[in-house]
Amino acid sequence: MVRGLLCVALLFVTVTAHADTWPDKDWAKGTPLAGPAVEALDAYAFPPRDDATRQGIRTDALLVIRDGQVVYERYAAPTTADTPHLTWSISKSLMATVLGIAYGDNRFKLTDPVWRFYPPMKQHPTVTMADMLHWASGLDWQEDYEFAPLKSSVVAMLYTRGHADMAEFAANTGSFSAPGQAFRYSSGDSNILSAALKGMLGHKAYISYPWDALFKPLGIRNATWETDADETFVASSYAYLTARDLARVGLLMVRNGRWGEQQLLPEDWVAFNRQPFDKYKAGQDEAVPGGHWWLNQGTPRPWPAAPADTFAALGHWGQALYVMPAEHLVIVRYGDDRDGSYQHNELLKRVLAAVQP
Amino acid sequence: MIRRRPFTSLFLVLLLALSGWIWHERVNLQAFPDIIAAYTAKEYCSCRYVANNPADYCRGYVKQYVPTSAFSDNPERSEVTASGLGRTHTARWLGERQGCRLTP
Repeated sequence: MVRGLLCVALLFVTVTAHADTWPDKDWAKGTPLAGPAVEALDAYAFPPRDDATRQGIRTDALLVIRDGQVVYERYAAPTTADTPHLTWSISKSLMATVLGIAYGDNRFKLTDPVWRFYPPMKQHPTVTMADMLHWASGLDWQEDYEFAPLKSSVVAMLYTRGHADMAEFAANTGSFSAPGQAFRYSSGDSNILSAALKGMLGHKAYISYPWDALFKPLGIRNATWETDADETFVASSYAYLTARDLARVGLLMVRNGRWGEQQLLPEDWVAFNRQPFDKYKAGQDEAVPGGHWWLNQGTPRPWPAAPADTFAALGHWGQALYVMPAEHLVIVRYGDDRDGSYQHNELLKRVLAAVQP
Repeated sequence: MIRRRPFTSLFLVLLLALSGWIWHERVNLQAFPDIIAAYTAKEYCSCRYVANNPADYCRGYVKQYVPTSAFSDNPERSEVTASGLGRTHTARWLGERQGCRLTP
């Protein structure tokens, strides 16, 4: 009887262990997607590319992971499987994930004021870590880049007045609202978070922390994360990863912060990432902000073709990491879109059609 | 005065408004010409030395509607210098993890 139970238990353990495939040095390969729906996906993502006008959809990489296995992978030259591609604002969600590990280490609480870790924020003493993660610091930031370059805070931060110390430049911005009361997307908020992490860890531990805490445990070997002259990671914009490596972060998120046997990110951290910011007003941005991730929530949903539990990290010029927990799907899409042709919803619709059995 | 010289008066009012705007935006206006050179140097450097893309691809990648007047890429030092709108900026590749940064 006891032996019988043991056998059942052993079988159960074996089955569940088999149910989860994790990438080792490389990703496991699943049965490649095929059929007319895949052709429709190819046609949408990879139309003939016009490098003279730079118009239309210009996908550099598209990678689909289902149940921890690669089922679709395609690149457009010069991007290859080995290219650490610029992620732009996906970096913000990566910083949130790095912060999640520090959170699990009890380095901070969401209700902590930011100035405790980053003294220049004493100018805004009541702004909390949660406010920053919701892009609701209340700082009077101007995110427009291409259409209002003169007034753009982000251009000034990256290239001119702010580039040597981006967090300080952002902290010196005035306020337009009380903290936590209004959403305003801000690259400044993300870089202040990066500086706050430095304050928690000290410079020496901080400078290798993304690798020690996140990249190495996930088996990511080729990550670059540029810093400003103050050696603060440019969390708003400048992380570079191969599509396959970014998908590892997606797999961590799709599995609720677990990597193999280890709960790398606390479950309540992932729940915070995926909880819509309650002061967000419909239409303020292209998707609903959670804790430094983008959610497919609200009515109407930003991407009606995708399930409501879909969430994403999104970046300038078409960079995207989509996570669909119920579908066990992770999608990485890198691009160089210079106009508004590319639509998240259309891509997700076609990927979902292509993965149907 | 206004009735006798309506055009001169209008011109003076506009000039005053323009000066007010220039004064109000003086910090932004002073930094504005730096954008194209700094953007080109930094993003080319990362395209070439972080993402390891070919040089001609990176030249196209960083192209903007504002032209650059001079450009040089020194592969031995992994250093990229660009000029435009009368300003010059340099970005340098620092290492595998740190990538590129504007100097200074």
